Amino acid sequence: MVTEEQQSGEQWVPDFTVDLAPDNPRELVLRNPVIPASGCFGYGIEYSGIVDVQRLGAFVSKGITPAPRSGNPMPRITETPSGMLNAIGLQNPGIRGFIRKYPPIWESWRVPAIVNISAEAVEDYATMARMLDDVPGVAALEVNISCPNISAGGYCFGWDPVMSSEVTRAVREATTLPVIVKLSPGAVDVIEIAQAVEDAGADAVSLINTLVGMSIDTRARKPVLANNTGGLSGPAVKPVAVRMVYQVAQAVRIPVIGMGGISGLADALEFFMAGASAIQVGTAVFSEPGMLIRLIDDLGEWLRANRIASLSDIVGVANPRFHSTTVRHSEIVAEMVGQ
Amino acid sequence: MTELASPTQHPTGWSREFIGEITATEPVMGDSVLVTFTSPPQLAASCRAGQFVELLCRTPQSSDPLLRRPFSVYATNPARQELTILVRPFGRGSAWLVEQPVGAILDVLGPLGNTFTVAPKSKNLLMVAGGVGAAPLLMLANEAVAKGMNVTYLLGAMNAGGLLAPGHLPGEVEYIVATIDGSAGRQGFVTDLVSEYVQWADQVFACGPEPMFRSLRREVLANRFAAKPTVQMSVERTMACGVGACLGCMVETRRGMRTSCVEGPVFEMDELAW
Ligand SMILES: Cc1cc2nc3c(=O)[nH]c(=O)nc-3n(C[C@H](O)[C@H](O)[C@H](O)COP(=O)(O)OP(=O)(O)OC[C@H]3O[C@@H](n4cnc5c(N)ncnc54)[C@H](O)[C@@H]3O)c2cc1C
Ligand SMILES: Cc1cc2nc3c(=O)[nH]c(=O)nc-3n(C[C@H](O)[C@H](O)[C@H](O)COP(=O)(O)O)c2cc1C
Ligand code: FES
Repeated sequence: MVTEEQQSGEQWVPDFTVDLAPDNPRELVLRNPVIPASGCFGYGIEYSGIVDVQRLGAFVSKGITPAPRSGNPMPRITETPSGMLNAIGLQNPGIRGFIRKYPPIWESWRVPAIVNISAEAVEDYATMARMLDDVPGVAALEVNISCPNISAGGYCFGWDPVMSSEVTRAVREATTLPVIVKLSPGAVDVIEIAQAVEDAGADAVSLINTLVGMSIDTRARKPVLANNTGGLSGPAVKPVAVRMVYQVAQAVRIPVIGMGGISGLADALEFFMAGASAIQVGTAVFSEPGMLIRLIDDLGEWLRANRIASLSDIVGVANPRFHSTTVRHSEIVAEMVGQ
Repeated sequence: MTELASPTQHPTGWSREFIGEITATEPVMGDSVLVTFTSPPQLAASCRAGQFVELLCRTPQSSDPLLRRPFSVYATNPARQELTILVRPFGRGSAWLVEQPVGAILDVLGPLGNTFTVAPKSKNLLMVAGGVGAAPLLMLANEAVAKGMNVTYLLGAMNAGGLLAPGHLPGEVEYIVATIDGSAGRQGFVTDLVSEYVQWADQVFACGPEPMFRSLRREVLANRFAAKPTVQMSVERTMACGVGACLGCMVETRRGMRTSCVEGPVFEMDELAW
């Protein structure tokens, strides 16, 4: 609803702010809901001179691991219909090198920096969270659970509710920072995973990470990527992402951050209406970096034109069971499988 | 880091993502096209040989082909505030680009990447180009001739029609060609011409396909003394972001992986891991 105060002003300003960790005293309040996604915005400095970083709601860093990683052999990326596959292999300087280099730069920025962390053992996630807990310049953690668990024979943490819960609990106990757990679309039942990480203390969930895919070079008769498989992202994954956000937003009470193929206002609105409180933009940053700021402006224009006072008024409007306390897991699944 | 003034402004006052309008197109080298488009004046003035631009090769409403395509800068015209690129229709992106008429609008990111580096003491420069690899070396040849250096420019193509007309090069340049079918210049590969110039050259600059680089390296190693001359190569990798953010375009060097979009595309041959 537009308040009288807002209505009386000629150019009233819609309320954009969103708190992604309402239950955490350290909170994660964003001035707007637009966030470049992990791996697609480097460390926030690469796009200076192209994107006004300080206007973003927040940004997520490239995934950081306990030790430095030189990443996968080339080729690491290939284009696919309305999408791309990537197998970067988490190239990063490791947590120690990272802490020395980047948070000091971010300390004076007004845009919150969210650090994405990846590991192959529960203790390593916890160690990184502990090291980041009081680093100035770090606003929150995003825990990438689309990683192989070495002690489980390399099975992906994010595909198993128990392992996902263990990682979340270990990180929760290691830091008071807001903790966002980033869900994997490869899980058989993403709803179960979302509920498990909520119970384990996550402040918010973000989804989706990339879907595992492959392209084959028919001339060379082998996969295009040196790693064989890669993560699919871009417009091609959007319908899958919207469906998963819709389901997860029914099953949990914590904020949901939606992503997957967002390239402009129309896409972002789908995610908000499905139940996302904020959105991340990944692949589209590569092709249209200017779109990030345009999206913030377009969203404001759209809210104004539709006389919607607050973004929260549209979050979940297309989702009758959004944040429902009564909906049962079986009902959500039935809607998916029933057709 | 201070706050930036407005959405896409560089601290020095210009933006590296800009809308360019095509002001001229000219068919060259058979099926290729020189595409000239407007750019912010500071960008045209600051751009140096070896740098490239990334173009969206579709309308913004479409999502295919999704990623930008990199194109080396062929020429700049700071007075007219223009950049020129040389495009060979190859796949979907380049085919779309060569069909854009004068007046069409392009979404441009750049100039990006490092530049060729000419040592202050160098007098004799050898340039080795294969196909559209001619582009960044043409710009370098212009810069070098303006500084009074001697330039020998070798270009290879399939046939006479695929060569750059001599009028496109500055008159001071010694221009020598090779064609696979022998319809112009020496019959064979451009690298067959290299050996006799290696000892004359203070520096070698190259741009072309990967097999050309391998032959060039063989020729240079076989003919040079005491690691002189050095060779700078503009290498080609599939790119996504163009600004060092995605780490998808890496080149393996003796000192580890380097981004070809920011730390390249120009690398010292002796630094590359072969
Ligand atoms: C730094 C840099 C500078 C460049 N400068 C120029 C330039 O000045 N002029 C110019 O015309 N091009 C240049 N390119 C190449 C250009 O960016 C595109 O790769 C090329 O135009 C093909 O894109 P496309 O969309 O037309 O083809 P696509 O549709 O992407 O390609 C079709 C098929 O060919 C394959 N393919 C793509 N590129 C190559 C290749 N080079 N060799 C072999 N197979 C390939 C793809 O994998 C795909 O299967 C440059 C590239 C780089 C990295
Ligand atoms: C090149 C590239 C690198 C990525 N790196 C990471 C990463 O380090 N950690 C992570 O959690 N997600 C990573 N992602 C996944 C994105 O953050 C995002 O979840 C996914 O790409 C879907 O969004 P999009 O379709 O908008 O790109 C990466 C994606 C791409 C394309
Ligand atoms: S293209 Fe993204 S790092 Fe080079």
